[in-house]
Amino acid sequence: MSADEFIDRSSANAIGEEWLAVAIEPRSAYGARENAKRRRFRPGEEREAMASAGRIARIAECLDPDLMERALARLARLPDISAALARVAVGDSLDDAEALAFLRFADGASELQRALEGCDELPNCAGEAVEALRVLFERGRVGGHAFYLHDSFDDALRSERERYEEARARFEAARGRLERKVAEALGRSARFDEEFIVLREELAKPLPSGVRVVREAPTYVLCEIDLDEESRAQLERREEAARAVALAEERVRAALAREVFTLGDGLARATFALGEIDLVLAAASWAQRFACRPAELDAAGEIQIVEGRWLPLQERLESAGGAFVPSSISWSGAAIVTGPNMGGKSVALRTVGFIALCASLGLPVPAQRARLALPPMIRWLGIGPDDETRGALLSSFAEEAVRLRDAFRALAPRSLLLVDEFARTTTPREGFAILVASLQSARERGADIIAATHLAGVAAAAGARHFAVRGLRGIPTPTPGADIDRLLAALADCMDYRIEELSEDRRESSDALALASLLGVDEGIVLRARGILKTIAE
Amino acid sequence: MEVSDLLLDRALASGARSIAVVGTGKNVGKTVVMRAIYRAAIARGMCVGLTSIGRDGEANDFVDTVAKPRLRLAAGTLVAGALGALPRSPALQWCECTDIQSASGPLAIVRVRSESEVEVVGAPTASGLRGCVASLFAHGADIVAIDGAIDRIAALREEDAVVVCCGAASSPSVEAIAAEVGALVALLGLSRYDGKGAALRVDGAFTPTHAATLIAAGERRAVVVRDATRVTLRGRALLGVLSRLQIRVERPLHPVAVTVNSVGRTGSVEPQALLQAVHAAVALPTFDLFAASAA
Repeated sequence: MSADEFIDRSSANAIGEEWLAVAIEPRSAYGARENAKRRRFRPGEEREAMASAGRIARIAECLDPDLMERALARLARLPDISAALARVAVGDSLDDAEALAFLRFADGASELQRALEGCDELPNCAGEAVEALRVLFERGRVGGHAFYLHDSFDDALRSERERYEEARARFEAARGRLERKVAEALGRSARFDEEFIVLREELAKPLPSGVRVVREAPTYVLCEIDLDEESRAQLERREEAARAVALAEERVRAALAREVFTLGDGLARATFALGEIDLVLAAASWAQRFACRPAELDAAGEIQIVEGRWLPLQERLESAGGAFVPSSISWSGAAIVTGPNMGGKSVALRTVGFIALCASLGLPVPAQRARLALPPMIRWLGIGPDDETRGALLSSFAEEAVRLRDAFRALAPRSLLLVDEFARTTTPREGFAILVASLQSARERGADIIAATHLAGVAAAAGARHFAVRGLRGIPTPTPGADIDRLLAALADCMDYRIEELSEDRRESSDALALASLLGVDEGIVLRARGILKTIAE
Repeated sequence: MEVSDLLLDRALASGARSIAVVGTGKNVGKTVVMRAIYRAAIARGMCVGLTSIGRDGEANDFVDTVAKPRLRLAAGTLVAGALGALPRSPALQWCECTDIQSASGPLAIVRVRSESEVEVVGAPTASGLRGCVASLFAHGADIVAIDGAIDRIAALREEDAVVVCCGAASSPSVEAIAAEVGALVALLGLSRYDGKGAALRVDGAFTPTHAATLIAAGERRAVVVRDATRVTLRGRALLGVLSRLQIRVERPLHPVAVTVNSVGRTGSVEPQALLQAVHAAVALPTFDLFAASAA
């Protein structure tokens, strides 16, 4: 899911595309290959996208979470046989590590098929070719999953190995006789390493025959056993028998490779099926964990999201023991979201973008119910985490203006524009004007635009639907010396993050002074600010 | 009892099931010691697992291309080695292909089915080594022998018994060899900081400059480093510093024995004198596998 015309990097970062990519990442090499081919559904492909999401949701519904995790874990352990298949396809032989991989592949695919048998939504990953592969390598199975190029593969291999063992035993016997003779002469045990030392003071007479001097030193000689004629002859026979074993083993490997080649098409189908299973199971596991449901995709209707969630934040909050408050929002054309600082306006926008992103990937969406069009483009317009790309060359406003320019150049009907506190760094009057004009222009061009703002009167001026975060239920009492995490937890307890539609463009409070006080801004400043507000109001 | 049996007994007496062999330099007899431990264990009917830290076990020294002592493995032996370095014939029993990477490809756990020579190219990292040793035990090894290297002691583990090899190939005289290995054993044997008493923690390397500064300041606290690899002093300089400062580690190693090799590539020393001098310097059981003697 790389940056493209559909979603640029800054928008992807703001919405949480990378989080989603990791969350639905398949576990096996087969799944990774299918994932690389994953494409977004475009406007006009609503039916296909809904079918994809529906299938994932049905799998999530019919499979037990533990079973799904076990299946994914099994996929993660599945060896990748693609390179070995490619080798045999061009007439190459196999090596034993590849034979082990084939055996484990056949075992794993068969186990997976058995585990998922009750789920009709998934393809068969263990057909005749996989079973034939298992039978082919079964003779090499040792214990559970180990592989050895066993004698039973070929009678010639068995006889060559027997010949080698005989030759080896004869050589060992001949060398053993030599070692015993030398040991007896030197008064030592019969176990000699490749090289050994004999101290001169131990030598009453010259070194016995069968000992070769490697190096002389003033006080000792470094020696090794010198093979006699008979031992050398036995060694030669052993080496010759070893070469014959090697040739016999290669013949067996080549024969196995030819057999695997004949199964190539069936095995390739199995690997594709495994890739698909991996891809779909990873998505289903994710959908199950976050209770995602298929969205209704309608090219013509308005956007309706009921109890939508932005999963990157939900996961973070839940891991810290908190809870995410879902938001519901419906509009077509233009809408604005207002409300207090830290009340969740930006999160509401990210939720909409995330749901659209999921829908475009043919995934169920994190909402109780959702209806939307497949957007041809998603853009996040506002100060985001990735806005330093042009360094210090552009001011914050200039950066926003450039992004607005680029978004409108590519704007098509049903494009989704998420505008987060646009133009907040310029004068409120001019910022208001640009925001209203942008809302009107986007709506006129058939796009769906939603903006979070603190500016008053925007909804009325732009003729946009107006949603607001309910805001603080009370002002939390500041605790002197409390750390930021405790302050934020106190704030979260008092904040009503639910969003409701306002019937008229009423003046909103940002609860900014209460927040400033809670976060430890000097109380003198806060009191003075309250006085100024009162004066302005009067 | 053979010297190799004594050496194995000494390693096992420490309670370790994994034995790492390191040398003060190249050609000090490390492979001979590995082979001796290996043969002694095989003779007792043990299932031995073998691996190395990085590259080792090859017929010719990878660095100077001189022929090395060979390691011929008996049927039943387990090896954790790089895929690219394991022989095609005689065929091995393939137990597991791991995700642990080395310069010669991913590491596999194999079992020798017919006596053969195997080049053991192991994991180059501490975590990879831990993975290999765990896999060897999981596949049934009674003990694991690790062919180590002095420049790769960072990969050694607390639970390994460490056998240190020294010899005429790394120093020119008995005294120099004894001093060198004495310092190395003192380094490897640095005690764990027990948390009692004042301590000065040194992050990163503990250098001669650090040492000189602390000695000049009359430092009395324990100087705590992560492990022996963080101390960059060697030889007599290290011994001098250890006599003046209390250096402690968070992750201690366990040297259990020392071996000597009186034969170098370009010269040799008197075997008995070397054995006694090294034994006196290290205060650990000391073995000469070439001359079949011990001290």
